[in-house]
Amino acid sequence: MGIIIDYSPLPGFEKTGVLAPMIPVTFRNREQEFSTIALVDSGAEGGIISTVIADKLNIKWRKIPAKRGFSVGSNFLFHPVDINAIVYDHNFSLKINVVEGIFAFKCILGRKDLFKRAKICFEGYKNQFEVIFREFN
Amino acid sequence: MQQIKIDFVKLLKGYKHGWVGISPDFKKVLVWGKTLDEATQKARAIKEKIYYFPAGESYSNFVGILYYGNNNRL
Repeated sequence: MGIIIDYSPLPGFEKTGVLAPMIPVTFRNREQEFSTIALVDSGAEGGIISTVIADKLNIKWRKIPAKRGFSVGSNFLFHPVDINAIVYDHNFSLKINVVEGIFAFKCILGRKDLFKRAKICFEGYKNQFEVIFREFN
Repeated sequence: MQQIKIDFVKLLKGYKHGWVGISPDFKKVLVWGKTLDEATQKARAIKEKIYYFPAGESYSNFVGILYYGNNNRL
């Protein structure tokens, strides 16, 4: 059974028609939980969170050696860490990348995490996408 | 088939900064704080699941927009 999610309007873009595919997610790092709403990005190799979110999850990211990544806009430093994510009752482990110097709210799920767990069908002509989780034995 | 909609324009209307805690049906803001810590503190009295999101941010860095003005997006 799939979940259909309408693309989300974001403040500041009402006149542009720009909408974003967003999905609710709960991250769990041992006893710490944090729920937010992530961008679903098929162009992102892996998921990212900001250091603000990492701190809320009590992730000791400063102790994890930094690696260098790149995106369209710039290079960045990130700290990979293994945590759990829950999306619509589907619990899975993932390697999330804590990225320094990005906006506090940034949270993106990408190809190595959400896209490995679910079939995701973007229907731009309907301004919505469908998420169908794979069944694991 | 479950279908959901999260309209941040409606949800964040009136919130110019800080963090909001959004209800699990994504219809209303349950808590607000100047900081994420303040918002999570206020949420401790609430039994419902809360989704945190910042208010008043520039979201252009989030979605990566190519925009030429006059509503002519690439």
